[in-house]
Amino acid sequence: MFSYLIRRILYAVPILLGVMVLTFFLFFVVQKPETMARNVLGKRATPQTIAEYLHKRGYDKPRFINREPGQPFYDSIFFTQLQKLATFDLGVSDVTGRDLKTVFKEGAIPSLLLTLPAFFVGFIMAVGLALYLVFVRETRLDAAGALVSIALMSVPPMIYIIFGQAVIALTFNYFPAFGFELSGLTTLKFLLLPVSLIVVMGLGSDVRLYRAIFLEEIGQDYVRTAQAKGVSSTRLLLVHVLKNGMIALITLVVAHLPLLVMGSLLIENFFGIPGLGNLLVSAIQTSDFATVRASVYLGSILYLIGLAATDVCYALVDPRIRLS
Amino acid sequence: MKKVCLLRLAELSGVARPCLAAIWLLAFLLTGCHNDPNPKPWREKRADGKPWVVRYASMPEEVRSLDPQVSYDSISRMVLEPVQDCLLEYAPMKIDPYELQPCLLESIPSRTMNADGTVDYLCKLKRGIFFHDDPCFPRGKGRELVAADVHFSIQRLCDPKVESPISANLAEYIAGMTEATDAAKRNGERFDYATMKVSGVEALDSHTFKLHLLKPYPQILYWMAMHFMAPVAQEAVNYYDGLPHADGSRGEMISRPLFRFHPVGTGPFKIVEWVRGQRFRFVRNENYRTTVFPSEGWPKERDAVNGPLAGHALPLVDEVQLGIFRELLPMWLLTRQGYLDRFAVQKDAFNSLISATKGLTPKYADRGLKLEKAVEVSTFYISFNQQDPVIGTNKKLRQALSCAYNPQGFIDILYGGVAPIAQQLLSPGVFGYQKDFRNPYAFNLEKGRRLIAEAGYPNGIDPATGQPLKITMDTTANSSAERQLAEYEQRQLEQLGIHVEVVENTFARMLEKEDQGNFQIAAGTGWGADYPDPENYFFLFASSNFPPTGKNINRYKNPEFDQLFEKMASMENSPERLEIARKLNEILIEDCPMVLNFHKAYFVVTQPWSPETQVNMMLEGGFKYMTVDPALREQKRREWNAVALWPIPVAIALVIAGLGYAVYINRRRNV
Repeated sequence: MFSYLIRRILYAVPILLGVMVLTFFLFFVVQKPETMARNVLGKRATPQTIAEYLHKRGYDKPRFINREPGQPFYDSIFFTQLQKLATFDLGVSDVTGRDLKTVFKEGAIPSLLLTLPAFFVGFIMAVGLALYLVFVRETRLDAAGALVSIALMSVPPMIYIIFGQAVIALTFNYFPAFGFELSGLTTLKFLLLPVSLIVVMGLGSDVRLYRAIFLEEIGQDYVRTAQAKGVSSTRLLLVHVLKNGMIALITLVVAHLPLLVMGSLLIENFFGIPGLGNLLVSAIQTSDFATVRASVYLGSILYLIGLAATDVCYALVDPRIRLS
Repeated sequence: MKKVCLLRLAELSGVARPCLAAIWLLAFLLTGCHNDPNPKPWREKRADGKPWVVRYASMPEEVRSLDPQVSYDSISRMVLEPVQDCLLEYAPMKIDPYELQPCLLESIPSRTMNADGTVDYLCKLKRGIFFHDDPCFPRGKGRELVAADVHFSIQRLCDPKVESPISANLAEYIAGMTEATDAAKRNGERFDYATMKVSGVEALDSHTFKLHLLKPYPQILYWMAMHFMAPVAQEAVNYYDGLPHADGSRGEMISRPLFRFHPVGTGPFKIVEWVRGQRFRFVRNENYRTTVFPSEGWPKERDAVNGPLAGHALPLVDEVQLGIFRELLPMWLLTRQGYLDRFAVQKDAFNSLISATKGLTPKYADRGLKLEKAVEVSTFYISFNQQDPVIGTNKKLRQALSCAYNPQGFIDILYGGVAPIAQQLLSPGVFGYQKDFRNPYAFNLEKGRRLIAEAGYPNGIDPATGQPLKITMDTTANSSAERQLAEYEQRQLEQLGIHVEVVENTFARMLEKEDQGNFQIAAGTGWGADYPDPENYFFLFASSNFPPTGKNINRYKNPEFDQLFEKMASMENSPERLEIARKLNEILIEDCPMVLNFHKAYFVVTQPWSPETQVNMMLEGGFKYMTVDPALREQKRREWNAVALWPIPVAIALVIAGLGYAVYINRRRNV
């Protein structure tokens, strides 16, 4: 397994390089640093002020390769950025000048407070409902469950947010429609609605998928044997089918775990939760290249970690699989 | 009673027990929760026992920098304004025209013209104004503001490390700024505040200073009303260095914030809380005596609100909570719940709030909401490239295009019909704005068709090709709304029989094209004024102001205009200046280097408990003049936020029915 992991890490290098080239292309070729400088410095900025701003941040260097005589070829924006990201030197925000490590640390807490409970509650609910549908399979309720699941999958996320804010928060007046406070039980008050919305948003597709997995399990020989031995339907589902179906489920969900730290773009933005999703939207709106670049880089690393973790989990929970 | 309940719970079956527990938990959460998102006020009561009054406001984005010498965006200025007073300020109630009044200065500075062409302004600071109490001062007590603080601020404008975006603009006028900047650059970009003095700011005594200008520039007074020239304490800049320092009380190393995130001003409020990405909390500066509520200048209909406040100490409220809302929908929802005191009406809420007659819809009028119209000091227009061989050389063609365009549709799409059509370059309230002036080349299709024929393109046909005249219009169309607007402009201009090709650009590419003059028509151009002076509008068309150094993207060049502009720019307001401004307007309208579109404006809705004291768009919030009736607010909030109980039993019934059905299926299958 060790050699497999080493290989996996080596595979990650070209992928990360690709991500860096792509983000670099987007932020230094499609959208130019001069635009960002103008945004930051305002409409009165003279070409000289803009040039000084870019020079201080090293954005006036050649883009890819330095062809200036006497200059090393790698003294360019691309290689400087590459070196910084490779050494996890995230630098400072282009707009506010704040240290990005601190900014990310501050944002990770609200993001995790939102996404972790949503992930676990969503997982438990989806498994529970999928088992329920398997339990009532081939009945009208099962068909209705499938229909509702498809409906939940088809509704765009924005509609959930509008429903949550306009109906649950505004008409029923249960929860605040907006806001966040990091202080004990008060935090719960702000999180209940957005967490519920994330759960419901993912419920349709998860229930459909998990139901299919459990239905596959229920057709297996060992289930028929257990039934023949007189095991009750409830025990059959909650012990035999659930346990074996979990092998497939765990490998599916582990990939998402590391990415939870990056938060949720839409929900954080609409509910004013100061997490990393909110940070990214704000950085895009203000042309804060450094923050967007660091966000994309961290997101890619976390995604790759998730994929590697999935493989490892597969091997751990299913003795038939060996990583080599 | 409690015992009985516990007994009954113990007797319940396995399925019912968790159900009941879930109901209890839900009931606990709903009773424990309330939908008020605002944190508790900073204090419950004032020192004198009176109720603590809070104002709830909103802004759309996080601030970039709170360094007075750096902040240029309106969001940062909105946070700085309550904290950092300026030398002068805008008279809050006077918007027709806008007027300056003293703030930190005793009076509007008097001007002396010198024989060598230089100009001096004698400025006297009010005595007894103190910086906010802050750890950067000895024993944490704010010290008195002195003239040296103004000199320090101007030095900061010259410091390359501060990166002030307007340093180059002011260096053109304030003596010694260029020299000080150059000295710092020679010194490895290190500004030595002890030796690199700016000769343009001469302290005469502790509270009096003379500002030396290299040439006449009456607009310097407007700059004095902006934060760039606001005095800053050197102690605060040195103290807030962003580095860890030993905390005297506990010996731990504590990182201090950077000065740009910790302003120490003399304003009516102090920042007591800044939760990044969420909100600012300002609390009254108890020592604030700099200004009082004005006693005149408002329109008659505001008499009832403003009259009793005349001469009142400022600020009127004890605390302002300024929330950051990146999306508009939550802002509107919170306004409906009574958790925001004021709301600038945006697209999402427009149809609910505004009736066809541009009044409040009955539902919200009955709630006691009030509607105000706020017109920004800005003008938007479609630019013609005067160096283009087709458009630039044919005045009648430009006039025809101007006549073909009806801005009303654009305004309806973008601003719900609220923004006024621009008849001239100057916006309302600016010195030189003519209320009765009507643009002779405003929308008039018949006239447009006549003019295009006179221009050499009868019915829009280019005689050289026999085809409709082809004109290219560049725009930044990054969203569906922008595309819709571009299409509207295209359709309007094509009424003349010409063909308009729309070229969509990224924002960066558009800036590049404007800088290079690489366009025929540029849509979506305009100007939000820095100050309400005709110079700040007409300079957009001065030939000395061509890109990339200037803003004359139309590349308009007219010697008569230039000559009059130069004369007008250095004059103080007078009947003669007014006459020149009128003449400049006439020249511009006749030459038609742009199609005038609109002045940006929007509706503002205020709650019944927070009447609007002013709608001065030169102020960024004007929080010190805002007032609130907290008792009425509390009453209305209770009325508007009653918790609906019926969905709870419905939800519980559905869950129980589902479980019951499962039990039924189970029993049937196991039979």
